[in-house]
Amino acid sequence: MTRGTLLYIGQRTLLIVLTAFIVSSIVFIGVHQLPGNAFVGERRTSAASQQALLQHYGLDKPWPQQYGTWVTGVLTRGDLGESLKQRGQKITPLLLREARVSVSLGLFAMAFCIIFGMGLGILAAVKQNTWIDYVASFLATVGYSMPNFVTAFLLILLTVTGFYAWSGGNFYEDIGWGKLEQIPVPAIALGLLPMTLITRLTRASMLEVIRQDYVRTAWAKGLRSRVVIVRHALRNALIPVITVLGPITTGVITGSVVIEYLFGIPGLGKEFVSSIFQRDYNVVIAVFTFYAVLVGLANLAVDLVYPILDPRIRY
Amino acid sequence: MAPLLQVEDLKTHFHLRDGVVKAVDGITFHVDKGETVGIVGESGSGKSITSLSIMRLVPEPGRIVHGRILFGANGQPKDVVKMTDEEIRDFRGSDVSMIFQDPMTSLNPVLRIGFQVREAMSAHDRFSDEQSKSRVVPLLKKVRIPGAADRTKAFPHQFSGGMRQRVMIAMGLSNEPSLLIADEPTTALDVTVQAQIIELLRDLNREMGTAIILITHNLAVVASICTRVIVMYAGRIVEEGYTRDIFKNPQHPYTWSLLRSMPRLDAARHSKLLTISGLPPDMSNPPPGCKFHPRCRFRVDRCLEEEPPLGEVGPNQFARCWVLMRNALVTQPEKAAAAEVPIPPLTAEPAQIDQRSEPDRPGAVKA
Repeated sequence: MTRGTLLYIGQRTLLIVLTAFIVSSIVFIGVHQLPGNAFVGERRTSAASQQALLQHYGLDKPWPQQYGTWVTGVLTRGDLGESLKQRGQKITPLLLREARVSVSLGLFAMAFCIIFGMGLGILAAVKQNTWIDYVASFLATVGYSMPNFVTAFLLILLTVTGFYAWSGGNFYEDIGWGKLEQIPVPAIALGLLPMTLITRLTRASMLEVIRQDYVRTAWAKGLRSRVVIVRHALRNALIPVITVLGPITTGVITGSVVIEYLFGIPGLGKEFVSSIFQRDYNVVIAVFTFYAVLVGLANLAVDLVYPILDPRIRY
Repeated sequence: MAPLLQVEDLKTHFHLRDGVVKAVDGITFHVDKGETVGIVGESGSGKSITSLSIMRLVPEPGRIVHGRILFGANGQPKDVVKMTDEEIRDFRGSDVSMIFQDPMTSLNPVLRIGFQVREAMSAHDRFSDEQSKSRVVPLLKKVRIPGAADRTKAFPHQFSGGMRQRVMIAMGLSNEPSLLIADEPTTALDVTVQAQIIELLRDLNREMGTAIILITHNLAVVASICTRVIVMYAGRIVEEGYTRDIFKNPQHPYTWSLLRSMPRLDAARHSKLLTISGLPPDMSNPPPGCKFHPRCRFRVDRCLEEEPPLGEVGPNQFARCWVLMRNALVTQPEKAAAAEVPIPPLTAEPAQIDQRSEPDRPGAVKA
């Protein structure tokens, strides 16, 4: 790792911090504009006790002051505050616990969409205009046109008869989450759409690279076809594919909001949705900011992979 | 002695939705050991497809539909057209190497120079891994890359066009092939670099005895290194012979026009440069008869109806033109000509050109 790379990482990290700050401010302002508050509609409460709750959590103060208190807490103690709904629940441990669930699901989905997407894309490109290509392209188009909640329902329908029985019905929240065999189905539901995106992109990129002069040179050298495809074509074809991995990570994160809700997975995505409905301000801000940091880190990771793939890029 | 490469009635066609493009349509030629043969022609004349056919690298939807490509100096010549996938793989880069027009795009941008050269050797069993590794620097030195030892770790983008073409040549020669096909190796380079590359090719040909097929539209390049020239037009050979004869005494109107459209230092001042009017024919719908007749200023009626065969128009010189045929030594039907194209003996000196013939006019065949 050169000095330039370290400097670059430093700059980007600073930018991520800045982004997190801006995102949290916007969300903080936005979430307080929502009608109602965390305590409305919770059983029947007197105006006096409502007021007492607002006072207890400091919600009666002007919001710049509230924001100041929150930021000080984050910066000095890493304390994201307390959930307004789950009384006494500190957000930091809550976030870490749920992030573990979401990240394992997300990583599984990413691995699925990268491995199968690239594999299918390469196959379609190498076997261009054969039935393999047509099937792969058809699947990619269908998958791309299908919203993830439709995919999720279809998969639930499909697995209820087979996989459900095999896994002993371990799909649902009330049975608990945490077994490995529970991960694949929601992960596929989450990863199918980005997978088709990667398939189409890999195919297009491979087709372009296969026609390049240096690939012809590789054939003319008498290299074996696997060497030509993997070492000469794929490595160059991957550069644009890597580019979309950043946005795809974002897609998987936002997709997880829906998928976790549908599959009842106790992850960040589900927390995110319910916290908005419940006006659990602190949780909304924390999750939102966490997502922003995650997207920033994913993009940074992608940018750090570039120079490994393409020596012409240097930081 | 059997020639190193014998191409017999090669036809490479492209089957498109709206017809067949006969990019190469029945060409026959040979290359001897250590010889340098130039193939000249405009864009679209089929010269590149000819060379790609020899490597079996014709892009889709092109296909070799007819003919034989016999290769092999010693022992049994093998037909490239009939080789299995593994045979053709081992043939490419080892028996015959090819370098391409644009050195800027012909090297893989993400792999190191040294690796790309070494890889060409590891694909074949001529050299062990150890040998391949130790041969890289000498090879780069041989093609005159300055500071070769330090530059094996460089990437192609750190090299200039001329240097990259040198790397391509080093790569092509790494397995000591008996034939090197250079497809417009200097077209993308500037003139001074062109001269260096041509000089390098000539020296390597002399030192290593590698036969070279040089494909180009640059007649000056041909004149400087080729012993024989093949002129192609619309997928056919229109004239063939020793460089000296063809330059001194071009027979086919096309060759004549090509030579006249080349600026010359010894030309009379203010003399006009000739241009060949019209365009090369649309190959999916070529004209009937002689393919050159729409652009030919010497055409006769027969040119419009019937395609002339390749006839001997001088000692070891052949051209495909009716105007010449009246005086030509042979007027065989096309098929017979293709089947037994006379191979000029190597040792024969080009015969004396008839001094009475005006070298600038086609059809000026010796009486």
